[in-house]
Amino acid sequence: MALYNFKKIQPVPSASDFLDIVLSKTQRKTPTVIHKHYKIGRIRQFYMRKVKFTQDSFEDKLKAMLEEFPKIDDIHPFYADLMNVLYDKDHYKLALSQINKAKSLIEEVAKEYVRLLKFGDSLYRCKQLKKSALGRMATIMKRQKNSLGYLEEVRQHLARLPSIDPNTRTLLICGYPNVGKSSFMNKITRANVDVQPYAFTTKSLFVGHMDYKYLRWQVIDTPGILDRPLEQMNTIEMQSVTALAHLRTCVLYFMDLSGQCGYSVDDQIQLYHNIKPLFANKPTFIVINKIDVTRPEDLSEEEQVKLREISEKENVQILQLSCQTDEGVIDVKNTACDKLLAARVEVKMKSQKINDVINRLHLSEPQQRDDIPRLPFIPEAVIGRRPYDKTDPKRRKLERDIEEESGGPGVYNVDHKKLYILQSDEWKYDAIPEIMDGKNVADFIDPEIAEKLEALEREEDKLEAEGFYESDEEIMDSEEEEFKKAADEAREKKKLIVQAHRTSKMMKNRPVMPRTATTKSLEEIEKKLGEFGIDASAIRARSQTRSRKRKFDESIGDAIVREESLAKSVTPVNIEDRKIAKMKKRSEKIHKTAQRQANLYARAGESDRKILMKKPKHLFSNKSTVGKRDRR
Amino acid sequence: MALRAQFENSNDIGVFSRLTNAYCLVAFGGSENFYSVFEGELGEVIPVIHTSIAGTRIVGRLTVGNRRGLLVPVTTTDQELQHLRNSLPDSVKIQRIEERLSALGNVIACNDHVALVHPEIDRETQEIIRDVLGVEVFTQTIAGNVLVGSYCAISNQGGLVHPRTSIEDQDELSSLLQIPLVAGTINRGSDVIGAGLVVNDWCALAGVDTTATELSVVERIFKLQDSQPSAIVTELRDSLVDST
Repeated sequence: MALYNFKKIQPVPSASDFLDIVLSKTQRKTPTVIHKHYKIGRIRQFYMRKVKFTQDSFEDKLKAMLEEFPKIDDIHPFYADLMNVLYDKDHYKLALSQINKAKSLIEEVAKEYVRLLKFGDSLYRCKQLKKSALGRMATIMKRQKNSLGYLEEVRQHLARLPSIDPNTRTLLICGYPNVGKSSFMNKITRANVDVQPYAFTTKSLFVGHMDYKYLRWQVIDTPGILDRPLEQMNTIEMQSVTALAHLRTCVLYFMDLSGQCGYSVDDQIQLYHNIKPLFANKPTFIVINKIDVTRPEDLSEEEQVKLREISEKENVQILQLSCQTDEGVIDVKNTACDKLLAARVEVKMKSQKINDVINRLHLSEPQQRDDIPRLPFIPEAVIGRRPYDKTDPKRRKLERDIEEESGGPGVYNVDHKKLYILQSDEWKYDAIPEIMDGKNVADFIDPEIAEKLEALEREEDKLEAEGFYESDEEIMDSEEEEFKKAADEAREKKKLIVQAHRTSKMMKNRPVMPRTATTKSLEEIEKKLGEFGIDASAIRARSQTRSRKRKFDESIGDAIVREESLAKSVTPVNIEDRKIAKMKKRSEKIHKTAQRQANLYARAGESDRKILMKKPKHLFSNKSTVGKRDRR
Repeated sequence: MALRAQFENSNDIGVFSRLTNAYCLVAFGGSENFYSVFEGELGEVIPVIHTSIAGTRIVGRLTVGNRRGLLVPVTTTDQELQHLRNSLPDSVKIQRIEERLSALGNVIACNDHVALVHPEIDRETQEIIRDVLGVEVFTQTIAGNVLVGSYCAISNQGGLVHPRTSIEDQDELSSLLQIPLVAGTINRGSDVIGAGLVVNDWCALAGVDTTATELSVVERIFKLQDSQPSAIVTELRDSLVDST
């Protein structure tokens, strides 16, 4: 797991490089040409932009730096402590805070000079202001020389730290210098740690990986520890202590009884007792190395007693191995791994997480449900067949090999017809038409398709004649029928609800004519009322004139006809109508005047802003002299 | 024998291949590397066939089959169907089925005896599955997922199901299928077992990201190389607990 990857931090440039980068960026990315006869606003703008841009570039770079470097308070305590040991926490924090301070100082400088630039009254003055702004930024940055140098060193060192995952399965090897820790590491992993016959060959933590029980294990080789108080320990020893203190591992405490390492057995036992607190709650083993030279049995009685005391009192198992003869190496590895795994599993079983895993540990065995045997089908050819071996010179030729021989992927065309299983091999490459006589050949792949279809149809007819399909519906039992009925009812109800909803929605947000405002013809009213069974004759009667019609002979004749009176009453024009007519006239007038402007410029209306031609052709073709280009 | 393979940098080999006891379908690829992994492992025993289905390379998701038959979706072209007919032995029946859920590999999981199908699959399709593949058909879900073909891999010897399948569901499925079952993952924690793993009675292939623990579970549950499924609860227990 790449939880802690310090390799991705960008290199930190030195102070002078930093300046070069930022200033050349300003030069590249901002405009460079300005003349004194330009408007003063433009000149100010030009220099302000330069100052602001420089500040931005500084800020970006410094911010990126501050974000990329790990914050000691946020990372795993192991790494935090390791960084404290290696780089000194205070120094590291100070360097970062100085960078942060520089960032805000530069910001202030920029702000101040931008303000001053607003009052710059000439090109010269603006330029001088810009110059001094950049100069002050550069000075601030130059003062960070030491911090930048230190941070670059830290970065380089961080990138080379072994990527230790603090949470995974880990074996940790510790002990006095020169007791054979690294030799053991080399035996069980492929880390290839340097092994030399002098003390402190291993000066930092090394990590190696191995596989055991289908799992990936981390092995950490630590520098030797000398038996002295914590305050006196040097950086190299402190790394070991950090690892011991913060990683939940299986600790292998290595001992050399032969004294080849230069430390007596007593010393080593003493050291064990001193660093014992660091082993608390961790599976621990005492591993006796170099048993090809000295075994525990060869020790003096006194020392043997001390050793036994540890193992009995602390309940620590003593293991023996020899990296020289490979005796016991695998045993030690397996015992340590098993114990750590058991401990981790035990912890996990108690935690909440186990619920996710519990079903994966369950093997469901089938319960016999009938007597049908369901056997596996493994062809004869599989049994006793040799597995394909890539390195065998007489191996089968695969498609990949053929591809390689005939030009590689992209060039080689696979022969798909090669493996066809047909009656005669000659048929493999026969061209078969897709369409023939206007028919798809694939539809006639079965030679008896016509007969089969006919037979099917006959069967179908027969079934129909026998009433096979009719009876099908009656089979429905009462329960099903009831269910269906209920479903139908529910569906009907649902439909009604939907309909009601729709109609209610239809009335919303649109003008509705009141019923009284609409006119209905008499016929319509009669029809509608007739539907309700109401007699509409009274309504018809009301609508008809009640006066008796004058008969023809009554109209003309000797009867006296009155002269048309002079003051003939005029049917009064409805006042409402007159108002409307007036309004209409006025609106037409307004409309016309509004249109005038648009018509003048041949516009469709006031929203028509189309510019058909900005310049006539002679102005496009670049032949005009100065002062004749201003067109609109 | 359990192997790792990848199809053009994709771990989902179950998408691009369909493996049964009588044949193996493999998608066309840019090179023959993927095909040759199958060819090297199975070439002498069963036909390994290059094919496309409906012009696509996702043959594993679109088809379903066992040693008796092969079902392809309605989108399969006549030419592809003819190619498959020519390449497969006569003992294997091919049927093109008209099913709304056309990714048959996702909605059907089967071995030579039993098939699990998506609950919404047509009754007629179920009938065809019964006839062509010669299996009993059960509508089921796996850990609440209707795509039974995507979330499990089964052979006649055993089966691996979605990691969140409850123990009761596992027992029920196991009794339906009449094979031992275990829940697990493939391709370093992926739960789409059907996409990451293809398996038959003597061979399994998984994506290259599959961890050693996952691969050993596969070997045990499918009884490859004479291993026994019971080892999962005994030997592999600690590794399983600690690796998840």
